[in-house]
Amino acid sequence: MTRAPSDAAARPAIDARALCKRYDDGVRRREVVSDVTLAVAPGTLSVLRGPSGSGKTTLLGLLGGMIAPTSGEVSVCGEPLSRLRDHHRARARRRLVGFVFQDLALLPGMSLTENVLLPLVPDGGATPAQRAYAEALLARFELGALADARVERLSGGERQRGALARALVCAPAVLLLDEPTAHLDGARVRDVIALLAALRDEGRTIVATTHDPRLADDPRIDRVLDLADGRLVGDAPRGPATPD
Amino acid sequence: MKRHRALLAHALGALVRRRGRNAAVAVGLALVVALFTAVLFLGDALRAEVEAGARHVPDLAVQRLVAGRPALVPTDAARAVAAIPGVRTVTPRVWGYLYAPPISANVTVLGATGREALPPAVVAGRALRPGERGACVLGAALADALGVRVGDEIALAGNAGADAVRVLRVVGTFHDASALRTADLLVTSDTDARALLGVAEGFVTDLAVALSTPDEARVATDKIARLIPGARVVDKQRLRRAYALTLDGRSGLLTAALLPALAALLLLAWDRLTGLSEAERRELGVLKAVGWEVRDVLTARLWESALVAFAGATVGVLVAYVYVFVAQAPGLAGALFGWSALHPPLRLTPQVDAAQTLALVAGVAVPFIAVGLVPAWRAATLDPDRALRGQA
Repeated sequence: MTRAPSDAAARPAIDARALCKRYDDGVRRREVVSDVTLAVAPGTLSVLRGPSGSGKTTLLGLLGGMIAPTSGEVSVCGEPLSRLRDHHRARARRRLVGFVFQDLALLPGMSLTENVLLPLVPDGGATPAQRAYAEALLARFELGALADARVERLSGGERQRGALARALVCAPAVLLLDEPTAHLDGARVRDVIALLAALRDEGRTIVATTHDPRLADDPRIDRVLDLADGRLVGDAPRGPATPD
Repeated sequence: MKRHRALLAHALGALVRRRGRNAAVAVGLALVVALFTAVLFLGDALRAEVEAGARHVPDLAVQRLVAGRPALVPTDAARAVAAIPGVRTVTPRVWGYLYAPPISANVTVLGATGREALPPAVVAGRALRPGERGACVLGAALADALGVRVGDEIALAGNAGADAVRVLRVVGTFHDASALRTADLLVTSDTDARALLGVAEGFVTDLAVALSTPDEARVATDKIARLIPGARVVDKQRLRRAYALTLDGRSGLLTAALLPALAALLLLAWDRLTGLSEAERRELGVLKAVGWEVRDVLTARLWESALVAFAGATVGVLVAYVYVFVAQAPGLAGALFGWSALHPPLRLTPQVDAAQTLALVAGVAVPFIAVGLVPAWRAATLDPDRALRGQA
């Protein structure tokens, strides 16, 4: 690893305290995430590992301000997302957090470029610099030739890289990915891990959920957090860049 | 502004992506608006025709009945009526109906004495000169039906008992705007009219009475009834009230005609209220997930709905205009106004109340847009992950 500790390392990129998320459907109450306290250092690549139904995706959503916690607090880069009103939270999320969904959530009928530029629409659309950045991202992810292709015509791998480009188009400090290696073959998994490690090396904070040992056991992962029944049951820092 | 431009561009893209559904909704709206607007246009056109006609109706028209049948009025009666206080002028008129075999219909023949209130603007040719014989001015529709133009001659056979055939040169035609009054009208000299209608000198068909104030009508009517045995006095104000009653009666039918349109509008609204498709819900979830605020989602949705609504409404208004004023409202006019049996056919003059039309468009489009925002608001106010999972 070539990264050096910085001043920003003093403040966690993601700081979650006593996070809880309960769902109440009127018949029964389910606590999906229970009392999770967690600090993720800037410029690290962490993995949230756990079996299906362990609450990984919900915790990822809570960390990224995508889901409002029932109790507890979460801050991203010092911004108290859980305390912000909906519109301020959306704006902060757009600025600070890139999110790649398990099903990628690309909009069919739109071109890859249109999908990538989607987060910039509420700000009045992409500036020339932002458009150039988006084109550079697509080129970097070997999607330059497919920029105008409709997303439903792309392969699974191309769509995943497209979703990653969309998550990065606002140049967020934090990147959250839900099961980024699900349904990928071995070579593709290696590509994805290499890409994530490269983004981490550029200073981004990355958290990915997985139950895939090919990702969780990779030596380039800085930290593995184990989740079971919504509780953090294991925390294994591996590299020198982890804060604890 | 930049934000709205970007959201509008996104909405246009969404419109194209969901073109099938949006086109269906726009067509539905267009049909509803077309039906509403057609009825509005028809009503306005009819009211305008009635109003245009009423402007030229005398305050009182004095006719005479003998044994329940119309009879001629002695010209001398005009002097007696003119002496009644409150009466400004009295104009003896010679007019009647003449059957015209070429069009299998009656023509209204009016003798011009130069003193009566003639229909407005002669658009082609000229008006009759005082005392000019062997000439006539026709309603545009009548001229069309007879296939004659200014400069042509027409031959008319007089009513039974009247003089022989009269040949009249067409010197002018009346404006379409007075169609209700002039559609079947032929104005000729008093002498020619008498010859055609068999009205002897010393008699007229009726007396057109102008009053100093309309309030005198009742008193003047009573006095005329005492002066002329068998007099029937037609009061302009009462005539207007009769028109109003007739239109009100027809408006009941119009309302009935609107019910299917209202039902269609309600169905469309219901579809909008409950009808976010799975794909639409998911799209809203994605937008929220990538950082759109609720107001961004709603604004984009507003633009999309507004584009559909106003496109549909505009097409609806255009269809209604063409249907009413170009196609002359086939079906609706005959069913509701009953003039389709008139000869020559009455051509409706375009009467468009822009404010009323805009209000109608807004009245349909605005609720449609508002109703469309309800499910979007429901989806947009959820956490992005719930919206993505289609829990809106």
